Amino acid sequence: MAELVKEDNVILEGKNVIITGTNRGIGRAMLEEFAKNGANIWAHARVETPEFLKDINAVAEEYHVEIRPLCFELTDYDAMKVAVKKIMSSKISVDALVNNAGITYNALFQMSSSDQLRNQLEVNFISVFMLTQYISKLMTRQKKGSIINIASSAAFDGNSGKSVYGATKAAIVAMTDSIAAELGVYGIRANCIAPGITETEMLATMPEAAVAEAKATADMRRGGKPSEIAKTAVFLASDLSSYVTGQTIRVDGGLK
Amino acid sequence: MILSGKTAVVTGCLQGIGRATLDVFAQNGANVFACCQYETEEFTNHIKELSKETGVEIFEIYFDLMDDESIKQAAREIQKSKRTIDILVNIAGMTKDALFQMVTMDQLKTVFQVNYFSQILFSQYIIKLMLRNGSGSVINTSSISALDGNPGQLVYASSKAAVIAATKTMSAELAPKGIRVNAIAPGVIDTAMTAIIPQEDMNRLMSKSNIKKVGTPIEVANVILYLASDLSSFVTGQTIRVDGGIG
Repeated sequence: MAELVKEDNVILEGKNVIITGTNRGIGRAMLEEFAKNGANIWAHARVETPEFLKDINAVAEEYHVEIRPLCFELTDYDAMKVAVKKIMSSKISVDALVNNAGITYNALFQMSSSDQLRNQLEVNFISVFMLTQYISKLMTRQKKGSIINIASSAAFDGNSGKSVYGATKAAIVAMTDSIAAELGVYGIRANCIAPGITETEMLATMPEAAVAEAKATADMRRGGKPSEIAKTAVFLASDLSSYVTGQTIRVDGGLK
Repeated sequence: MILSGKTAVVTGCLQGIGRATLDVFAQNGANVFACCQYETEEFTNHIKELSKETGVEIFEIYFDLMDDESIKQAAREIQKSKRTIDILVNIAGMTKDALFQMVTMDQLKTVFQVNYFSQILFSQYIIKLMLRNGSGSVINTSSISALDGNPGQLVYASSKAAVIAATKTMSAELAPKGIRVNAIAPGVIDTAMTAIIPQEDMNRLMSKSNIKKVGTPIEVANVILYLASDLSSFVTGQTIRVDGGIG
């Protein structure tokens, strides 16, 4: 029974992970949940501020794990290359990559500007594509790795005001499925999480009435906590999901 | 441990995915009502050892999914224990493979009795116990056959598709009361049920698989552990494929 998970709630002991967008929202909750589960973390944020460094050091100390800052603008590909080199030269293996960072605008289809379209596509899709390409090269050499991309219920449900955001997240799902198909033979799994209504700052961009209605009709009659999205990411990063790949798990409380 | 202090009811514990789930749950601190169709010496010995090794309580429950009366009695036995039930995992199931034109009404009725009707009946009883404490997690077992279709599996696939519809409806009705309901859809898992798959079909399935290997019962049990635990506290009404990326 050597395969069984026995540690006290700690299911990522000794794993090294990269998480993007860890300074707030779901990413900040991931920082905490991954650390709680024993993972060492490359914590990405756009800008290296004293507050951010203080925060990640506090989390590292609390859970006795190593957390290293990894700061760059997602759309600055030169800076991304430098960050990737930093990871490579550390000689630390990468067990999981969590592409969490993303942006949204809420705008009706007819009112969405081409700037918004390009900006969201760049941050939510192209930068994720690029970072995953770099890191998956490393994972291919290791012959193991778990890639976790954050999609959205908006990729599937067609929400008003989310034509651009939803499209970028649908692109993420399609990309993830192809990655799973191409890299499965190298021991790399790739899955998505599709959060529904989650209590973050991003939620404030949605009309209040739409949020209230979504919560009232969801099976669980509430919004999700960032930590609840983070825990499914922990599952997908862990060996508990060793036979799960090419999937999108909706973490939405039964959104209708 | 992930399930410390929880009590689970698991069906189909004699072998395969059910047995692995029993083991994983016990290893993770859950007390288990281990349900089987019949008693074997191997099983009772296994339970004794597992219980000794992990320190959890394991209770044997025997009933036949073909027999509604025995299902009722089993549920009553569980109820009489006065224990709070936190988790229900419906795993027991069967298949009768036949091409569409060759399927008999008897096959349809038998497989639906075991894979669907009996599951609803047993769940009704157990979930009644869960409703008293206003929380719980139910995990039903579907199949990728239900989602993808599979030649020769009309009966099995249809019964497993019914399980998905039940899962969604149960979630809509029960999640407002604190009970999450999800399903798993295993692919080709190394069990007695897949041992009968002809080599030619197995090759076809594996060529479509991302991971290119058959899954182990433990790998499925680990996903059930996720759905049973607090790790999935905002996941309900979902069917999760555990298939190494087939199709």
